[in-house]
Amino acid sequence: MPRVPPVLIRPVASIRTRMPPAIRVEGLEKDYGDVQALDGLDLTVPEGSFFGLLGPNGAGKTTFINVLVGLVRKTGGRAEVFGNDVEEDYQGARDAIGLAPQEFNVDRFFPIEEVLHHKAGYHGIPEAEAEERAAEALKRVGIYDKRDVRFDWLSGGMKRRFMLARALVTDPDLLILDEPTAGVDVELRHDLWEVITDLNDEGTTILLTTHYIEEAERLCDEVAIIDSGRKVTVATPDELTEKGSDTLTVYCESAIGDAPALDDERIERVAVEGDAIRVRATSASEVVPSVLRQLEAAGHTPLDIDIERTSLEEVFVDLTRREAGADADAESHEAASDSAETGDGDDGEGAGDRVTAEASR
Amino acid sequence: MSESRLFSTGTKTLTKREILRFLRRPWNTFLPPFITNVLYFSVFGVILGSRIQEIRGVPYIQFILPGLVVLGAIGNAFENASFSIFHGRWNEYIHEPLTSPLSYRSMVFSYVASSALRGIIIGVLIAVIGAVFTPVHSLANPAYAVVFLLVIATLFAGLGVIGGLVADDFDHLTVLNQFILRPLVFFGGVFYSLDALSGAALTASYLNPMVYMVNGVRYGVLGVSDIPVNEALGVLVALTVVVLAVDVALFKRGYGLTD
Repeated sequence: MPRVPPVLIRPVASIRTRMPPAIRVEGLEKDYGDVQALDGLDLTVPEGSFFGLLGPNGAGKTTFINVLVGLVRKTGGRAEVFGNDVEEDYQGARDAIGLAPQEFNVDRFFPIEEVLHHKAGYHGIPEAEAEERAAEALKRVGIYDKRDVRFDWLSGGMKRRFMLARALVTDPDLLILDEPTAGVDVELRHDLWEVITDLNDEGTTILLTTHYIEEAERLCDEVAIIDSGRKVTVATPDELTEKGSDTLTVYCESAIGDAPALDDERIERVAVEGDAIRVRATSASEVVPSVLRQLEAAGHTPLDIDIERTSLEEVFVDLTRREAGADADAESHEAASDSAETGDGDDGEGAGDRVTAEASR
Repeated sequence: MSESRLFSTGTKTLTKREILRFLRRPWNTFLPPFITNVLYFSVFGVILGSRIQEIRGVPYIQFILPGLVVLGAIGNAFENASFSIFHGRWNEYIHEPLTSPLSYRSMVFSYVASSALRGIIIGVLIAVIGAVFTPVHSLANPAYAVVFLLVIATLFAGLGVIGGLVADDFDHLTVLNQFILRPLVFFGGVFYSLDALSGAALTASYLNPMVYMVNGVRYGVLGVSDIPVNEALGVLVALTVVVLAVDVALFKRGYGLTD
């Protein structure tokens, strides 16, 4: 038996730790004239993860993805895919990515199976293997019997399935899905979830953007929320929901008049509806003893309690609203500073004009 | 499987895709030039040509044959490249090769090679139609005919790539083809010899690159030319190299392709 050099029998884990992340972006910027689509985005997507990207419309999600695949040219910062710079090592970066975009950007001249042969060929996959992979990808998404049809003749759901097949045909290490289930029925959505979950189990890194919070909550290991081209937070879905406030409802024996003053700094808000008191708190289960004790001391008789955990959707709305508020504050602060500097504090409109003119230059 | 070689599997696949695109639509690719050139040879060659005296010792119908070959070859090479790229941009399916690990040189090679091939096929088709109307027993300088046809088809395929990248609407493609390309060709000596011109018209003709292309192919087919062919070939080759370099630079910059 030949001797195996020590370097080849390193534990797999130690090799894995040396792998660069699937995506690493630092200070990523993209502007379209006055519009700042990406504003210093920092993000790392670990290899093998199922990573969700959430954000309101216009947050910069699609711009971010298009920078990675070379359809948008960044104006600043750095972006890498498995250690390949998206501009300097663009071939390595693009080879690693399978993309299913929101828009149907499919070659309409050829039957869908041939479109897959071509896509595989562009990635250097020889013809015979490309044919095998195309058949396999179409079977995987359940539209193999439509292989001789052109894209325009597929139904809406089949088109979505095809977009996934095209992303899979090159066997990518990083699968990017830009709202893959937008506008599809529940059955198809579950089918697509199953396919991409299996792929992730097989080791493929998944980057998913979605407007369906339930989708992110159900599928993703980690979620990044971005807004106005910036990262708001990155956390697991559980960690995010813990950031929100729960609602504790205490049902009492009789109707309660005014909301009682409850002395606990963890409590954010108290409201009364008939015989029920609704208490908003960071972690409702921890304030239950304190709330019950104070209600009894005030002469009420609690009969039942109910705790409603905050949803990821509520946290998402809260975080993006807060971000928008911070932006508005910053802008008004900036405008006020400029007014003060120019000595035109009373002439708000004129100062505003000057600020705009300065920004335009 | 990233490949940086020019003739990689990726390059071959994109070239094949581009060739299949026009071969599978024969009514669109071959029928229009067939009908148009049958009409040209019938009207200008047979009906009018019989009333026109020989030019440089060549019957008129034979004199116009090389020019019509050039007209068909460059028109098709240009139109194929510009349409393919613009249509791909318009419908965004050009993203398929763009988001793949193909090098910019490979992409340009594929679009230019396939479009030049279409131009050459159409040029040969027109020559065959011409041979039906007027027998050309042998080519005077076959090497010149082949090289000139190859160079001008490549040059106009390269120009078509630029057209496909800069056009913002289908209207722009029509403007490029009908209002710039076609007048240059018609005033490029397809239907007349430069001997028929004098003064400013003759000087202007020497500034028209089509004159050199038409006369180059005419020299290859008939052995007659209004201009020195070797110098013309040198200039056209240099121009082709410059245009191809511009194509690669535009792809690299993402002009018309990326935001």
